[in-house]
Amino acid sequence: MEVGAGNGDTGLSDTVKIPERLLRRDQARLEEAERRKDAKESQTVSEEKSDFFSATFNSEKAAIEHLINTCPGTDRDAACKTLEEVTHKIQQLQKFLNDSMMFLTSYELRQAQASVQKLQSSLAEKRDVALPKKKFAFRSRQAGAAKNTETTQSTAATEKSKSDSVVGSVLEAAISADMCGFSNADSKVLTKKADEIQQRDVLLSHLTNCKVTLYGSPSTLHIKNVRNCQILCGPVSSSVFVDQCSGCTLSFPCQQLRTHNTTDTKIYLHVTSRAIIEDCQNVAFAPFTWTYPGMDDDFIVSGLDRERNNWSQVDDFNWLAANTPSPNWSVIPEAVRTDAWEIAVPSE
Amino acid sequence: MGLLTILKKLKQKEREMRLLMLGLDNAGKTTILKKFNGEDVSTISPTLGFNIKTLEHRGFKLNIWDVGGQKSLRSYWRNYFESTDGLVWVVDSADRLRLEDCRKELNALLLEERLAGATLLVFANKQDLPGALSKEAIREALALDDIKTHHWSIIGCSAITGENLLTGVDWLLDDIAARIFTAD
Repeated sequence: MEVGAGNGDTGLSDTVKIPERLLRRDQARLEEAERRKDAKESQTVSEEKSDFFSATFNSEKAAIEHLINTCPGTDRDAACKTLEEVTHKIQQLQKFLNDSMMFLTSYELRQAQASVQKLQSSLAEKRDVALPKKKFAFRSRQAGAAKNTETTQSTAATEKSKSDSVVGSVLEAAISADMCGFSNADSKVLTKKADEIQQRDVLLSHLTNCKVTLYGSPSTLHIKNVRNCQILCGPVSSSVFVDQCSGCTLSFPCQQLRTHNTTDTKIYLHVTSRAIIEDCQNVAFAPFTWTYPGMDDDFIVSGLDRERNNWSQVDDFNWLAANTPSPNWSVIPEAVRTDAWEIAVPSE
Repeated sequence: MGLLTILKKLKQKEREMRLLMLGLDNAGKTTILKKFNGEDVSTISPTLGFNIKTLEHRGFKLNIWDVGGQKSLRSYWRNYFESTDGLVWVVDSADRLRLEDCRKELNALLLEERLAGATLLVFANKQDLPGALSKEAIREALALDDIKTHHWSIIGCSAITGENLLTGVDWLLDDIAARIFTAD
Protein backbone atom coordinates (compact mmCIF):
# COMPACT_ATOMS: atom_id res chain seq x y z
CA MET A 1 0.00 0.00 0.00
CA GLU A 2 1.20 3.37 -0.97
CA VAL A 3 0.07 5.03 2.22
CA GLY A 4 1.81 2.53 4.43
CA ALA A 5 5.02 2.82 2.43
CA GLY A 6 4.92 6.60 2.68
CA ASN A 7 4.54 6.35 6.45
CA GLY A 8 7.60 4.17 6.86
CA ASP A 9 9.80 6.39 4.68
CA THR A 10 9.09 9.73 6.31
CA GLY A 11 7.77 10.33 9.81
CA LEU A 12 7.52 14.12 9.54
CA SER A 13 4.56 14.69 7.24
CA ASP A 14 1.91 12.79 9.19
CA THR A 15 -0.18 15.91 9.64
CA VAL A 16 -0.33 16.44 5.88
CA LYS A 17 -0.95 12.78 5.09
CA ILE A 18 -3.82 12.15 7.48
CA PRO A 19 -6.43 14.25 5.70
CA GLU A 20 -5.41 12.55 2.45
CA ARG A 21 -5.86 9.12 4.00
CA LEU A 22 -9.18 10.18 5.44
CA LEU A 23 -10.18 11.49 2.10
CA ARG A 24 -9.35 8.20 0.44
CA ARG A 25 -11.13 6.17 3.04
CA ASP A 26 -14.11 8.44 2.78
CA GLN A 27 -14.16 7.98 -0.97
CA ALA A 28 -13.90 4.23 -0.63
CA ARG A 29 -16.75 4.29 1.84
CA LEU A 30 -18.86 6.33 -0.55
CA GLU A 31 -18.12 3.95 -3.37
CA GLU A 32 -19.03 1.03 -1.20
CA ALA A 33 -22.30 2.73 -0.26
CA GLU A 34 -23.00 3.40 -3.90
CA ARG A 35 -22.39 -0.24 -4.74
CA ARG A 36 -24.67 -1.41 -1.97
CA LYS A 37 -27.34 0.95 -3.15
CA ASP A 38 -27.05 -0.42 -6.68
CA ALA A 39 -27.21 -3.95 -5.44
CA LYS A 40 -30.25 -3.16 -3.36
CA GLU A 41 -31.93 -1.49 -6.28
CA SER A 42 -31.46 -4.45 -8.53
CA GLN A 43 -32.81 -6.62 -5.72
CA THR A 44 -35.97 -4.59 -5.46
CA VAL A 45 -36.53 -4.83 -9.18
CA SER A 46 -36.67 -8.57 -9.00
CA GLU A 47 -38.87 -8.44 -5.93
CA GLU A 48 -41.22 -6.17 -7.73
CA LYS A 49 -41.30 -8.56 -10.62
CA SER A 50 -42.15 -11.49 -8.48
CA ASP A 51 -44.73 -9.38 -6.64
CA PHE A 52 -46.29 -8.59 -9.96
CA PHE A 53 -46.20 -12.27 -10.83
CA SER A 54 -47.87 -13.47 -7.67
CA ALA A 55 -50.51 -10.75 -7.86
CA THR A 56 -51.42 -11.59 -11.46
CA PHE A 57 -51.16 -15.28 -10.88
CA ASN A 58 -53.37 -15.24 -7.82
CA SER A 59 -56.05 -13.05 -9.33
CA GLU A 60 -56.14 -15.23 -12.44
CA LYS A 61 -56.26 -18.32 -10.28
CA ALA A 62 -59.17 -16.88 -8.26
CA ALA A 63 -61.01 -16.08 -11.49
CA ILE A 64 -60.63 -19.64 -12.71
CA GLU A 65 -61.73 -21.07 -9.39
CA HIS A 66 -64.75 -18.83 -9.49
CA LEU A 67 -65.60 -20.05 -12.99
CA ILE A 68 -65.28 -23.67 -11.95
CA ASN A 69 -67.42 -23.17 -8.88
CA THR A 70 -70.17 -21.30 -10.66
CA CYS A 71 -70.27 -23.68 -13.62
CA PRO A 72 -73.92 -24.61 -14.15
CA GLY A 73 -74.42 -28.27 -13.39
CA THR A 74 -77.75 -28.66 -15.14
CA ASP A 75 -77.37 -27.07 -18.56
CA ARG A 76 -75.07 -29.28 -20.59
CA ASP A 77 -74.26 -26.76 -23.31
CA ALA A 78 -73.52 -23.95 -20.90
CA ALA A 79 -71.40 -26.23 -18.75
CA CYS A 80 -69.49 -27.39 -21.80
CA LYS A 81 -68.82 -23.79 -22.79
CA THR A 82 -67.67 -22.76 -19.36
CA LEU A 83 -65.39 -25.75 -18.97
CA GLU A 84 -63.85 -25.02 -22.33
CA GLU A 85 -63.15 -21.48 -21.21
CA VAL A 86 -61.64 -22.77 -18.00
CA THR A 87 -59.39 -25.15 -19.91
CA HIS A 88 -58.22 -22.28 -22.05
CA LYS A 89 -57.57 -20.07 -19.03
CA ILE A 90 -55.59 -22.73 -17.27
CA GLN A 91 -53.46 -23.15 -20.35
CA GLN A 92 -52.83 -19.41 -20.42
CA LEU A 93 -51.91 -19.48 -16.77
CA GLN A 94 -49.47 -22.31 -17.34
CA LYS A 95 -47.91 -20.33 -20.14
CA PHE A 96 -47.63 -17.25 -17.96
CA LEU A 97 -45.93 -19.38 -15.33
CA ASN A 98 -43.53 -20.80 -17.88
CA ASP A 99 -42.65 -17.32 -19.09
CA SER A 100 -42.03 -16.11 -15.56
CA MET A 101 -39.87 -19.05 -14.57
CA MET A 102 -36.69 -17.05 -15.04
CA PHE A 103 -37.06 -14.78 -12.02
CA LEU A 104 -39.02 -16.99 -9.64
CA THR A 105 -37.44 -18.74 -6.73
CA SER A 106 -37.81 -22.46 -6.80
CA TYR A 107 -40.22 -22.33 -3.90
CA GLU A 108 -42.52 -19.91 -5.70
CA LEU A 109 -42.25 -21.98 -8.83
CA ARG A 110 -43.25 -25.14 -7.03
CA GLN A 111 -46.13 -23.39 -5.29
CA ALA A 112 -47.42 -22.01 -8.56
CA GLN A 113 -47.11 -25.34 -10.30
CA ALA A 114 -49.00 -27.03 -7.49
CA SER A 115 -51.79 -24.45 -7.86
CA VAL A 116 -52.02 -25.08 -11.60
CA GLN A 117 -52.20 -28.81 -11.00
CA LYS A 118 -54.87 -28.32 -8.40
CA LEU A 119 -56.89 -26.24 -10.86
CA GLN A 120 -56.49 -28.96 -13.46
CA SER A 121 -57.77 -31.63 -11.13
CA SER A 122 -60.73 -29.59 -9.94
CA LEU A 123 -61.54 -28.93 -13.59
CA ALA A 124 -61.45 -32.67 -14.26
CA GLU A 125 -63.71 -33.30 -11.28
CA LYS A 126 -66.14 -30.66 -12.41
CA ARG A 127 -66.15 -32.10 -15.89
CA ASP A 128 -66.94 -35.54 -14.54
CA VAL A 129 -69.88 -34.11 -12.64
CA ALA A 130 -71.26 -31.72 -15.25
CA LEU A 131 -70.61 -33.79 -18.37
CA PRO A 132 -70.66 -37.45 -17.38
CA LYS A 133 -68.96 -39.63 -19.94
CA LYS A 134 -70.79 -41.69 -22.51
CA LYS A 135 -69.23 -44.75 -20.94
CA PHE A 136 -71.66 -44.86 -18.05
CA ALA A 137 -74.73 -44.36 -20.18
CA PHE A 138 -73.55 -47.13 -22.39
CA ARG A 139 -72.78 -49.65 -19.70
CA SER A 140 -76.33 -49.79 -18.55
CA ARG A 141 -77.48 -50.22 -22.12
CA GLN A 142 -74.89 -52.90 -22.71
CA ALA A 143 -76.07 -54.71 -19.63
CA GLY A 144 -79.58 -54.63 -21.05
CA ALA A 145 -78.47 -55.94 -24.41
CA ALA A 146 -76.35 -58.63 -22.89
CA LYS A 147 -79.39 -60.06 -21.13
CA ASN A 148 -80.99 -61.15 -24.36
CA THR A 149 -78.16 -62.92 -26.04
CA GLU A 150 -74.86 -63.51 -24.39
CA THR A 151 -75.24 -63.33 -20.64
CA THR A 152 -73.51 -66.61 -20.03
CA GLN A 153 -70.81 -66.02 -22.56
CA SER A 154 -69.81 -62.54 -21.50
CA THR A 155 -69.84 -63.17 -17.75
CA ALA A 156 -67.80 -66.29 -18.30
CA ALA A 157 -65.39 -64.27 -20.36
CA THR A 158 -64.93 -61.49 -17.83
CA GLU A 159 -64.48 -63.92 -14.98
CA LYS A 160 -61.98 -65.78 -17.04
CA SER A 161 -60.02 -62.63 -17.79
CA LYS A 162 -59.97 -61.75 -14.10
CA SER A 163 -58.71 -65.03 -12.79
CA ASP A 164 -56.61 -66.37 -15.60
CA SER A 165 -53.04 -65.25 -15.71
CA VAL A 166 -52.06 -66.87 -19.00
CA VAL A 167 -51.66 -64.21 -21.65
CA GLY A 168 -53.21 -66.17 -24.50
CA SER A 169 -56.45 -66.98 -22.84
CA VAL A 170 -56.90 -63.48 -21.51
CA LEU A 171 -56.58 -62.21 -25.04
CA GLU A 172 -58.99 -64.75 -26.39
CA ALA A 173 -61.56 -63.98 -23.76
CA ALA A 174 -61.07 -60.30 -24.33
CA ILE A 175 -61.60 -60.63 -28.05
CA SER A 176 -64.80 -62.60 -27.73
CA ALA A 177 -66.20 -60.58 -24.86
CA ASP A 178 -66.97 -57.24 -26.35
CA MET A 179 -67.18 -57.74 -30.08
CA CYS A 180 -70.27 -58.29 -32.11
CA GLY A 181 -70.60 -59.07 -35.79
CA PHE A 182 -70.55 -61.94 -38.25
CA SER A 183 -67.87 -64.52 -39.02
CA ASN A 184 -67.48 -67.56 -41.27
CA ALA A 185 -70.50 -67.26 -43.52
CA ASP A 186 -71.07 -68.02 -47.18
CA SER A 187 -73.85 -66.70 -49.42
CA LYS A 188 -75.97 -65.31 -46.57
CA VAL A 189 -77.97 -62.19 -46.01
CA LEU A 190 -76.91 -60.75 -42.68
CA THR A 191 -78.46 -57.83 -40.79
CA LYS A 192 -77.93 -56.20 -37.44
CA LYS A 193 -80.22 -53.65 -35.87
CA ALA A 194 -79.26 -50.39 -34.23
CA ASP A 195 -79.72 -51.55 -30.64
CA GLU A 196 -77.34 -54.47 -31.18
CA ILE A 197 -74.40 -52.47 -32.40
CA GLN A 198 -74.87 -49.01 -30.92
CA GLN A 199 -71.39 -47.72 -29.98
CA ARG A 200 -69.88 -51.21 -29.92
CA ASP A 201 -66.96 -52.64 -31.88
CA VAL A 202 -68.20 -54.62 -34.85
CA LEU A 203 -66.16 -57.35 -36.57
CA LEU A 204 -66.98 -58.89 -39.92
CA SER A 205 -64.58 -61.67 -40.87
CA HIS A 206 -64.28 -64.60 -43.26
CA LEU A 207 -67.40 -63.84 -45.26
CA THR A 208 -67.95 -64.84 -48.88
CA ASN A 209 -70.74 -63.75 -51.22
CA CYS A 210 -72.74 -62.19 -48.42
CA LYS A 211 -74.93 -59.12 -48.21
CA VAL A 212 -74.39 -57.44 -44.86
CA THR A 213 -76.46 -54.54 -43.60
CA LEU A 214 -75.66 -52.90 -40.28
CA TYR A 215 -78.05 -50.26 -38.97
CA GLY A 216 -76.98 -48.02 -36.14
CA SER A 217 -73.71 -46.42 -35.14
CA PRO A 218 -70.82 -48.70 -34.14
CA SER A 219 -67.76 -47.36 -32.34
CA THR A 220 -65.34 -49.09 -34.73
CA LEU A 221 -65.85 -51.44 -37.65
CA HIS A 222 -63.35 -54.14 -38.62
CA ILE A 223 -63.76 -55.88 -41.96
CA LYS A 224 -61.30 -58.74 -42.40
CA ASN A 225 -60.89 -61.52 -44.96
CA VAL A 226 -64.04 -60.80 -46.89
CA ARG A 227 -64.66 -61.85 -50.53
CA ASN A 228 -67.30 -60.62 -52.98
CA CYS A 229 -69.59 -59.10 -50.39
CA GLN A 230 -71.75 -56.02 -50.20
CA ILE A 231 -71.42 -54.32 -46.82
CA LEU A 232 -73.55 -51.35 -45.78
CA CYS A 233 -73.10 -49.76 -42.41
CA GLY A 234 -74.45 -46.76 -40.48
CA PRO A 235 -72.18 -43.94 -39.24
CA VAL A 236 -69.03 -45.23 -37.48
CA SER A 237 -67.83 -42.92 -34.68
CA SER A 238 -64.13 -43.57 -35.10
CA SER A 239 -62.21 -45.75 -37.55
CA VAL A 240 -63.10 -48.40 -40.08
CA PHE A 241 -60.42 -51.02 -40.72
CA VAL A 242 -60.54 -52.96 -43.97
CA ASP A 243 -57.99 -55.76 -44.26
CA GLN A 244 -57.54 -58.59 -46.78
CA CYS A 245 -60.67 -57.92 -48.76
CA SER A 246 -61.35 -58.39 -52.45
CA GLY A 247 -64.19 -57.92 -54.88
CA CYS A 248 -66.35 -56.09 -52.34
CA THR A 249 -68.63 -53.09 -52.37
CA LEU A 250 -68.55 -51.18 -49.10
CA SER A 251 -70.57 -48.18 -48.02
CA PHE A 252 -70.37 -46.31 -44.72
CA PRO A 253 -69.71 -42.94 -43.07
CA CYS A 254 -66.79 -42.84 -40.63
CA GLN A 255 -64.15 -40.59 -39.10
CA GLN A 256 -61.13 -42.38 -40.55
CA LEU A 257 -60.79 -45.25 -43.01
CA ARG A 258 -57.73 -47.48 -42.96
CA THR A 259 -57.56 -49.94 -45.82
CA HIS A 260 -54.89 -52.65 -45.97
CA ASN A 261 -54.08 -55.50 -48.39
CA THR A 262 -57.27 -54.99 -50.31
CA THR A 263 -57.91 -55.42 -54.04
CA ASP A 264 -60.71 -54.74 -56.51
CA THR A 265 -63.02 -53.07 -54.06
CA LYS A 266 -65.44 -50.17 -54.39
CA ILE A 267 -65.97 -47.93 -51.40
CA TYR A 268 -68.86 -45.45 -51.18
CA LEU A 269 -67.53 -43.29 -48.45
CA HIS A 270 -68.26 -40.41 -46.13
CA VAL A 271 -65.09 -39.68 -44.19
CA THR A 272 -64.63 -36.64 -41.99
CA SER A 273 -60.87 -36.85 -41.66
CA ARG A 274 -58.97 -38.97 -44.19
CA ALA A 275 -59.01 -42.33 -45.91
CA ILE A 276 -55.74 -44.17 -46.32
CA ILE A 277 -54.73 -47.25 -48.27
CA GLU A 278 -51.69 -49.44 -47.73
CA ASP A 279 -50.65 -52.42 -49.85
CA CYS A 280 -53.83 -52.10 -51.89
CA GLN A 281 -54.62 -52.32 -55.57
CA ASN A 282 -57.54 -51.22 -57.67
CA VAL A 283 -59.57 -49.64 -54.90
CA ALA A 284 -62.17 -47.17 -56.14
CA PHE A 285 -63.93 -44.45 -54.20
CA ALA A 286 -67.20 -42.56 -54.54
CA PRO A 287 -69.25 -40.45 -52.12
CA PHE A 288 -71.59 -42.20 -49.69
CA THR A 289 -75.14 -42.41 -51.03
CA TRP A 290 -76.93 -45.10 -49.06
CA THR A 291 -79.65 -43.95 -46.70
CA TYR A 292 -82.11 -45.65 -44.36
CA PRO A 293 -84.84 -44.59 -41.93
CA GLY A 294 -83.28 -43.42 -38.70
CA MET A 295 -79.89 -42.62 -40.21
CA ASP A 296 -80.10 -39.00 -39.06
CA ASP A 297 -80.30 -40.12 -35.45
CA ASP A 298 -77.38 -42.48 -35.93
CA PHE A 299 -75.35 -39.62 -37.36
CA ILE A 300 -76.03 -37.66 -34.20
CA VAL A 301 -74.99 -40.62 -32.03
CA SER A 302 -71.78 -41.04 -34.02
CA GLY A 303 -70.85 -37.38 -33.69
CA LEU A 304 -69.74 -37.23 -37.33
CA ASP A 305 -69.94 -33.97 -39.25
CA ARG A 306 -72.32 -34.50 -42.18
CA GLU A 307 -71.04 -31.43 -43.97
CA ARG A 308 -67.45 -32.60 -44.16
CA ASN A 309 -66.73 -35.43 -46.56
CA ASN A 310 -63.15 -35.97 -47.75
CA TRP A 311 -63.92 -39.15 -49.67
CA SER A 312 -61.71 -38.19 -52.59
CA GLN A 313 -58.63 -37.33 -50.52
CA VAL A 314 -56.98 -40.71 -50.16
CA ASP A 315 -53.44 -41.12 -48.81
CA ASP A 316 -51.57 -44.10 -50.22
CA PHE A 317 -48.79 -45.09 -47.82
CA ASN A 318 -47.05 -46.96 -50.61
CA TRP A 319 -47.03 -43.94 -52.88
CA LEU A 320 -45.17 -41.06 -51.34
CA ALA A 321 -44.55 -39.10 -54.54
CA ALA A 322 -46.56 -35.93 -54.14
CA ASN A 323 -46.73 -34.81 -57.73
CA THR A 324 -47.96 -37.98 -59.44
CA PRO A 325 -51.21 -39.62 -58.33
CA SER A 326 -51.12 -43.12 -56.88
CA PRO A 327 -51.96 -45.88 -59.37
CA ASN A 328 -53.50 -47.97 -56.60
CA TRP A 329 -56.76 -46.11 -56.22
CA SER A 330 -59.20 -44.19 -58.39
CA VAL A 331 -62.48 -42.33 -58.33
CA ILE A 332 -65.51 -44.23 -59.60
CA PRO A 333 -66.80 -42.30 -62.66
CA GLU A 334 -70.17 -40.71 -61.99
CA ALA A 335 -71.85 -42.65 -64.77
CA VAL A 336 -71.21 -46.01 -63.15
CA ARG A 337 -71.89 -45.12 -59.53
CA THR A 338 -74.71 -46.90 -57.73
CA ASP A 339 -77.23 -45.07 -55.69
CA ALA A 340 -80.03 -47.61 -55.66
CA TRP A 341 -78.92 -49.92 -52.87
CA GLU A 342 -80.52 -53.29 -52.88
CA ILE A 343 -81.31 -54.27 -49.33
CA ALA A 344 -82.08 -57.95 -49.18
CA VAL A 345 -84.34 -59.21 -46.40
CA PRO A 346 -82.73 -61.78 -44.13
CA SER A 347 -83.70 -65.28 -45.12
CA GLU A 348 -83.64 -66.77 -41.64
CA MET B 1 -28.10 -10.72 -11.05
CA GLY B 2 -26.26 -11.09 -14.34
CA LEU B 3 -24.45 -14.23 -13.39
CA LEU B 4 -27.57 -15.77 -11.92
CA THR B 5 -29.46 -15.13 -15.12
CA ILE B 6 -26.75 -16.73 -17.17
CA LEU B 7 -26.68 -19.73 -14.88
CA LYS B 8 -30.42 -20.10 -14.99
CA LYS B 9 -30.42 -19.79 -18.74
CA LEU B 10 -27.77 -22.47 -19.02
CA LYS B 11 -29.71 -24.71 -16.73
CA GLN B 12 -32.84 -24.11 -18.72
CA LYS B 13 -31.07 -25.15 -21.85
CA GLU B 14 -30.13 -28.40 -20.20
CA ARG B 15 -33.66 -29.11 -19.10
CA GLU B 16 -34.54 -30.34 -22.51
CA MET B 17 -35.90 -33.78 -23.20
CA ARG B 18 -36.54 -35.71 -26.31
CA LEU B 19 -39.58 -37.95 -26.26
CA LEU B 20 -40.37 -40.41 -29.03
CA MET B 21 -43.97 -41.47 -29.43
CA LEU B 22 -44.58 -44.74 -31.25
CA GLY B 23 -47.29 -47.38 -31.56
CA LEU B 24 -49.41 -49.16 -34.16
CA ASP B 25 -51.50 -47.10 -36.54
CA ASN B 26 -54.77 -45.79 -35.09
CA ALA B 27 -53.38 -45.96 -31.55
CA GLY B 28 -53.95 -42.22 -31.08
CA LYS B 29 -50.40 -40.87 -31.04
CA THR B 30 -51.17 -37.68 -32.93
CA THR B 31 -54.33 -37.15 -30.91
CA ILE B 32 -52.36 -37.42 -27.66
CA LEU B 33 -49.79 -34.96 -28.94
CA LYS B 34 -52.38 -32.45 -30.08
CA LYS B 35 -54.52 -32.81 -26.98
CA PHE B 36 -51.48 -32.33 -24.79
CA ASN B 37 -50.69 -29.19 -26.72
CA GLY B 38 -54.27 -27.98 -26.47
CA GLU B 39 -55.09 -28.23 -30.17
CA ASP B 40 -58.24 -29.37 -31.95
CA VAL B 41 -58.37 -33.16 -32.18
CA SER B 42 -61.47 -33.67 -34.31
CA THR B 43 -59.85 -33.45 -37.73
CA ILE B 44 -56.76 -35.60 -37.33
CA SER B 45 -55.79 -37.76 -40.30
CA PRO B 46 -53.62 -40.87 -40.28
CA THR B 47 -50.06 -39.57 -40.02
CA LEU B 48 -48.20 -39.77 -43.29
CA GLY B 49 -44.70 -39.10 -42.00
CA PHE B 50 -44.22 -37.47 -38.60
CA ASN B 51 -45.09 -34.52 -36.37
CA ILE B 52 -42.76 -32.69 -34.02
CA LYS B 53 -43.88 -30.45 -31.21
CA THR B 54 -41.74 -28.50 -28.81
CA LEU B 55 -43.53 -27.51 -25.68
CA GLU B 56 -42.81 -26.36 -22.17
CA HIS B 57 -44.08 -28.36 -19.30
CA ARG B 58 -43.16 -28.01 -15.62
CA GLY B 59 -40.14 -26.02 -16.61
CA PHE B 60 -38.88 -28.66 -18.99
CA LYS B 61 -38.62 -28.17 -22.69
CA LEU B 62 -40.06 -31.24 -24.37
CA ASN B 63 -39.33 -32.18 -27.94
CA ILE B 64 -42.00 -34.70 -28.78
CA TRP B 65 -41.69 -36.74 -31.97
CA ASP B 66 -44.80 -38.46 -33.21
CA VAL B 67 -44.03 -40.87 -36.03
CA GLY B 68 -46.74 -42.55 -38.14
CA GLY B 69 -47.57 -46.12 -37.20
CA GLN B 70 -48.66 -47.62 -40.51
CA LYS B 71 -46.87 -50.82 -41.41
CA SER B 72 -45.01 -49.18 -44.25
CA LEU B 73 -43.69 -46.45 -41.94
CA ARG B 74 -42.50 -48.69 -39.10
CA SER B 75 -39.21 -49.42 -40.83
CA TYR B 76 -38.45 -45.70 -40.57
CA TRP B 77 -38.92 -45.62 -36.81
CA ARG B 78 -35.27 -46.39 -36.26
CA ASN B 79 -34.30 -43.09 -37.87
CA TYR B 80 -35.71 -41.36 -34.80
CA PHE B 81 -34.09 -43.44 -32.04
CA GLU B 82 -30.95 -41.35 -31.54
CA SER B 83 -30.67 -39.55 -28.18
CA THR B 84 -34.20 -40.36 -27.11
CA ASP B 85 -34.77 -39.78 -23.38
CA GLY B 86 -38.24 -41.23 -23.17
CA LEU B 87 -40.22 -43.65 -25.30
CA VAL B 88 -43.99 -43.30 -25.24
CA TRP B 89 -45.68 -46.44 -26.52
CA VAL B 90 -49.31 -45.81 -27.35
CA VAL B 91 -51.80 -48.70 -27.41
CA ASP B 92 -55.35 -48.67 -28.73
CA SER B 93 -56.98 -50.45 -25.79
CA ALA B 94 -60.03 -51.30 -27.87
CA ASP B 95 -58.07 -52.93 -30.69
CA ARG B 96 -58.07 -56.48 -29.36
CA LEU B 97 -57.31 -58.01 -32.72
CA ARG B 98 -53.86 -56.48 -32.99
CA LEU B 99 -52.59 -56.70 -29.42
CA GLU B 100 -50.26 -59.49 -30.45
CA ASP B 101 -48.81 -57.29 -33.24
CA CYS B 102 -48.49 -54.54 -30.69
CA ARG B 103 -46.55 -56.74 -28.28
CA LYS B 104 -44.15 -57.87 -31.00
CA GLU B 105 -43.42 -54.37 -32.22
CA LEU B 106 -42.77 -53.15 -28.68
CA ASN B 107 -40.47 -56.06 -27.89
CA ALA B 108 -38.48 -55.38 -31.04
CA LEU B 109 -38.06 -51.75 -29.97
CA LEU B 110 -36.82 -52.67 -26.52
CA LEU B 111 -34.00 -54.70 -28.03
CA GLU B 112 -32.82 -51.61 -29.85
CA GLU B 113 -29.43 -50.47 -28.59
CA ARG B 114 -30.04 -46.78 -29.17
CA LEU B 115 -33.15 -46.90 -26.98
CA ALA B 116 -31.39 -48.76 -24.20
CA GLY B 117 -31.26 -45.76 -21.87
CA ALA B 118 -34.78 -44.53 -22.51
CA THR B 119 -37.63 -44.64 -20.02
CA LEU B 120 -40.74 -46.41 -21.30
CA LEU B 121 -44.23 -45.05 -20.76
CA VAL B 122 -47.08 -47.19 -22.08
CA PHE B 123 -50.30 -45.30 -22.66
CA ALA B 124 -53.31 -47.64 -22.66
CA ASN B 125 -55.26 -45.14 -24.74
CA LYS B 126 -58.97 -44.91 -25.59
CA GLN B 127 -60.16 -45.75 -22.09
CA ASP B 128 -63.22 -43.64 -22.91
CA LEU B 129 -64.46 -46.30 -25.35
CA PRO B 130 -66.87 -48.83 -23.89
CA GLY B 131 -64.97 -51.70 -25.52
CA ALA B 132 -61.58 -50.73 -24.12
CA LEU B 133 -59.48 -53.23 -22.20
CA SER B 134 -58.26 -52.18 -18.78
CA LYS B 135 -54.64 -51.22 -18.32
CA GLU B 136 -54.12 -54.43 -16.33
CA ALA B 137 -55.27 -56.48 -19.32
CA ILE B 138 -52.97 -54.51 -21.61
CA ARG B 139 -50.10 -54.95 -19.18
CA GLU B 140 -50.62 -58.69 -19.34
CA ALA B 141 -51.17 -58.84 -23.08
CA LEU B 142 -47.97 -56.92 -23.75
CA ALA B 143 -46.09 -58.94 -21.10
CA LEU B 144 -44.79 -55.73 -19.56
CA ASP B 145 -43.77 -57.44 -16.35
CA ASP B 146 -41.09 -59.27 -18.30
CA ILE B 147 -39.34 -56.01 -19.13
CA LYS B 148 -36.19 -55.79 -17.05
CA THR B 149 -34.12 -53.55 -19.30
CA HIS B 150 -36.02 -50.30 -18.99
CA HIS B 151 -37.82 -48.27 -16.38
CA TRP B 152 -41.46 -48.56 -17.38
CA SER B 153 -44.98 -47.69 -16.33
CA ILE B 154 -48.40 -48.20 -17.86
CA ILE B 155 -51.14 -45.60 -17.57
CA GLY B 156 -54.70 -45.80 -18.80
CA CYS B 157 -55.68 -42.62 -20.60
CA SER B 158 -57.98 -41.06 -23.12
CA ALA B 159 -56.64 -38.67 -25.70
CA ILE B 160 -60.15 -37.50 -26.49
CA THR B 161 -61.07 -36.49 -22.94
CA GLY B 162 -57.48 -35.76 -21.95
CA GLU B 163 -57.81 -38.03 -18.93
CA ASN B 164 -54.48 -39.02 -17.36
CA LEU B 165 -52.32 -37.61 -20.15
CA LEU B 166 -50.70 -35.24 -17.69
CA THR B 167 -50.22 -37.96 -15.09
CA GLY B 168 -48.40 -40.08 -17.64
CA VAL B 169 -46.14 -37.36 -18.91
CA ASP B 170 -45.40 -36.22 -15.36
CA TRP B 171 -44.29 -39.73 -14.41
CA LEU B 172 -42.10 -39.87 -17.49
CA LEU B 173 -40.53 -36.50 -16.73
CA ASP B 174 -39.85 -37.43 -13.12
CA ASP B 175 -38.19 -40.65 -14.12
CA ILE B 176 -36.05 -39.04 -16.79
CA ALA B 177 -35.19 -36.07 -14.59
CA ALA B 178 -34.09 -38.36 -11.77
CA ARG B 179 -31.73 -39.98 -14.23
CA ILE B 180 -30.38 -36.98 -16.09
CA PHE B 181 -30.60 -33.94 -13.85
CA THR B 182 -29.37 -35.55 -10.68
CA ALA B 183 -27.99 -32.21 -9.55
CA ASP B 184 -31.51 -30.91 -8.80
